[in-house]
Amino acid sequence: MASGFRDKVAIVGMGCSRFGERWELGADGLMVEAFGEALADAGIAREQIEAAWVGNALDDINVGNSALPAAHALRLQRVPVTRVENMCATGTEALRGAAYAVASGAVDIALAIGVEKLKDTGYGGLPLKTKGVQNDLWMPYGSAPGTFAQLAGAYAARHGIDAGDLKRAMAHVSWKSHQNGVHSPKAHMRKAVEMDKILNAPMIADPLGLFDCCGVSDGAACAIVTTPDIARGLGKVNPVTIKAIQLSASNGWEMQYGEWDGAHVPNTRVASRKAYAEAGIQDPKQSIDMTEVHDCFSITELVIMEDLGLSDEGRAPADILDGRYDRDGAIPCQLDGGLKCFGHPVGASGLRMAYEVYNQLQGRAGDRQRGKVDFGLTHNLGGAPFNSVAAVAILGRLN
Amino acid sequence: MQIGITAMGAYLPALRVDRKAIAREYSWSGLGMPRGGFRALAGWDEDSLTMAVEAARGLVRTAPESLRIASTSAYYTERSQSAIALDALALPRTVRTVDFGNSRRAATTAMLDALLGTGDQIVVASEKRLTQAGSAAQLAYGDGAAAVRIGEGGGARLAGFASVTHDLVDRYASQDHPTPYAYEERFVRDVAVAELIVPAIRDACEEAGIEPGHLTHVAVAEPVGGTWAAAARQLKVAAPNHCQSVSDAAGDLGTAMPLYGLGLALAAAAVGDYVLVVGFGSGVDALVFEVTGEVEGVAGFAEVLTQGFRLTSPTRFLNLSGALSLDWGMRAEFQQKSQATVLERVGRDTIGFIGGRDSGGNVQFPKSAYPVNPALSEPEVLEDVRLADLEAKIVSITADRLNFTPDPPFDFGLVQFDNGARVLMEMVDRPEQGFAVGDRVRMRLRIKSQNRELGTRTYFWKAAPRARPTLGDA
Repeated sequence: MASGFRDKVAIVGMGCSRFGERWELGADGLMVEAFGEALADAGIAREQIEAAWVGNALDDINVGNSALPAAHALRLQRVPVTRVENMCATGTEALRGAAYAVASGAVDIALAIGVEKLKDTGYGGLPLKTKGVQNDLWMPYGSAPGTFAQLAGAYAARHGIDAGDLKRAMAHVSWKSHQNGVHSPKAHMRKAVEMDKILNAPMIADPLGLFDCCGVSDGAACAIVTTPDIARGLGKVNPVTIKAIQLSASNGWEMQYGEWDGAHVPNTRVASRKAYAEAGIQDPKQSIDMTEVHDCFSITELVIMEDLGLSDEGRAPADILDGRYDRDGAIPCQLDGGLKCFGHPVGASGLRMAYEVYNQLQGRAGDRQRGKVDFGLTHNLGGAPFNSVAAVAILGRLN
Repeated sequence: MQIGITAMGAYLPALRVDRKAIAREYSWSGLGMPRGGFRALAGWDEDSLTMAVEAARGLVRTAPESLRIASTSAYYTERSQSAIALDALALPRTVRTVDFGNSRRAATTAMLDALLGTGDQIVVASEKRLTQAGSAAQLAYGDGAAAVRIGEGGGARLAGFASVTHDLVDRYASQDHPTPYAYEERFVRDVAVAELIVPAIRDACEEAGIEPGHLTHVAVAEPVGGTWAAAARQLKVAAPNHCQSVSDAAGDLGTAMPLYGLGLALAAAAVGDYVLVVGFGSGVDALVFEVTGEVEGVAGFAEVLTQGFRLTSPTRFLNLSGALSLDWGMRAEFQQKSQATVLERVGRDTIGFIGGRDSGGNVQFPKSAYPVNPALSEPEVLEDVRLADLEAKIVSITADRLNFTPDPPFDFGLVQFDNGARVLMEMVDRPEQGFAVGDRVRMRLRIKSQNRELGTRTYFWKAAPRARPTLGDA
């Protein structure tokens, strides 16, 4: 009987580059920036890393495929390095790989690093690519805002919510994150934005306006993982541990089979329920102290709140407008400003979220610190609502 | 049994350029161009192939012996339009295919060949021709298609015909000059009437055993305006030229013009009437039909002429007709590829929009070894189900303004078929109020992707509103 990750793997060091339009750095420089911070945090030397997983989603944008870009950038000493890619869940996928290595006993210390260098495309938004495969022959390639915007109409239809009311709740999601991002020195965007400006912004993909969308940016984040015993040996008295990591991938049911209502993301529901069970959490509304979720678009965060079981079905707009997920609310969401303020260097985002939870758990989040945090949750959603990969991780302390 | 026309089909793109609005924009130049009526304008994702398929799709309930496509504007110079259309229409690969081109007369020639053959053949004519900005042809031409099925027992039998081959250069287009180069209209009209059209019509009527004055309806594709009027005076024919209605409402459809006019003429004719169709270009074909009964499909021709969306924006018109190259930014540099190996594996199911029905009765697209149906757990071979002719309902939708498309916005979303199939699709023929969850949609064959560097296109189906609005007066 599988027993899961719970408390088998400790995180002893994390690092995160400053996210943004890092014109001065390539992917290698971004990784070095994050890696140096993590090594210092862990109190280990580079040579103690026995295996590494590098997450990078868009191989043709200035990073390159395989493990070699990371092995070169960090000059890893001929240790096994594996590249992983799972769309927007890539960063968490790297953490999962490193954690598996430690949990299995294969290695003592492993590195997970995620990086993306998106600002070399020459334009905003994610790059499109085509390989001439079967899907290219029939599947429309809408933009990322276009794919997620479709949640809104379906959600409004499913719950009988007026489009204007939904838009206001979506605007609150973005307003709240921009308020939080002011306090994140490493965020791409650190300005509060007025509600009227959000509501009246130019339309990107109906009904998502400019401020309903996160930007893209350059960035890297990493984690050094080991066993709790070794963590204590490194001076971490009550180390941060992984309570759960769960992943769920679409099998085509949403976009090919006529049952899905288009108003929720089944993979998030599956991954979170499994994660709660793995972490031993009975009631997430009571136990989860904070979340960093995949707010690629405001409507996504709204729907995620229900999919994670933090809002009841159809109640997310009201909960959001009531401030339940604000920094002083019951379960703050995006204390660091989220994708909305950090942007979304795809391969790095999952680890950037873990970085915020890791700091909050240890009371090291500075102006953003949310009192005592026992359990923090990260969530990634790769792909599109109708064809996704969802990853949920729960972090806490060993004792 | 006598061979004749059994059925016809017509297709025009939804956009109709208001000629008066565009001509007004050109008024500073003093250039001469038509100022009344509409010009049918293909969307960026329509070409002569997609429109040919749309015109023919109502005629293929059973497979014909052959499929012939006539066009002077085929995208590929080496890759058969009719072969691609065969797959798009989900016809068996044993159906013979022929492409006719290089003359506006190609459709009447193909139709005549079919009528003189063994029957059960489909002839389609389709055009989307390039024109030079500011030329008379830019507003006089129109994009569209018409199709005819020929077989035993049709409602219009060929009573007589005549063909004249004559390299009269009234206009031309070439590899070096792909837009039409036209000569003086009075010269063309005088020679065409005297040397080609009048003699051919006399011969065709004589073979039919009638005087030209007995013709009750005609469909004469004129090389220039006033041709039919001049010929009719000499022939003492009072019958209306139904191609004039096409010119007024949609424009000169090239190879499709005589077929479209013939459809209108047959719809207006009564049993016992004689109907003339004339195709012109590098000569002339004159065919006289005796109406012996009903021809399926012709009743819809007039309605197609009057339904669509009025377009008055000069820049949108120039953009869609290829006369204006806009800077769409770097996103427009995206070039989608298609691999021949992939096309060979799944191309026929894709362009035919063929999904599969599993053992539980659910239909899915594309097909897969393991059905998407969660009730089934073993691999199985799915039964072919064509989705192209079915309606569906929009489940989710957005108007994407970030994604590049030559005619924004990029509407797309999930659509649900009643048989269970759910497909992520582009939407086309955007209604004025946009698309909404719950809207019923029908399928239209369109260009899915084009790669201008490699000179290739792929085709797939897109969801369109079930009906089009009726146009007002221009």
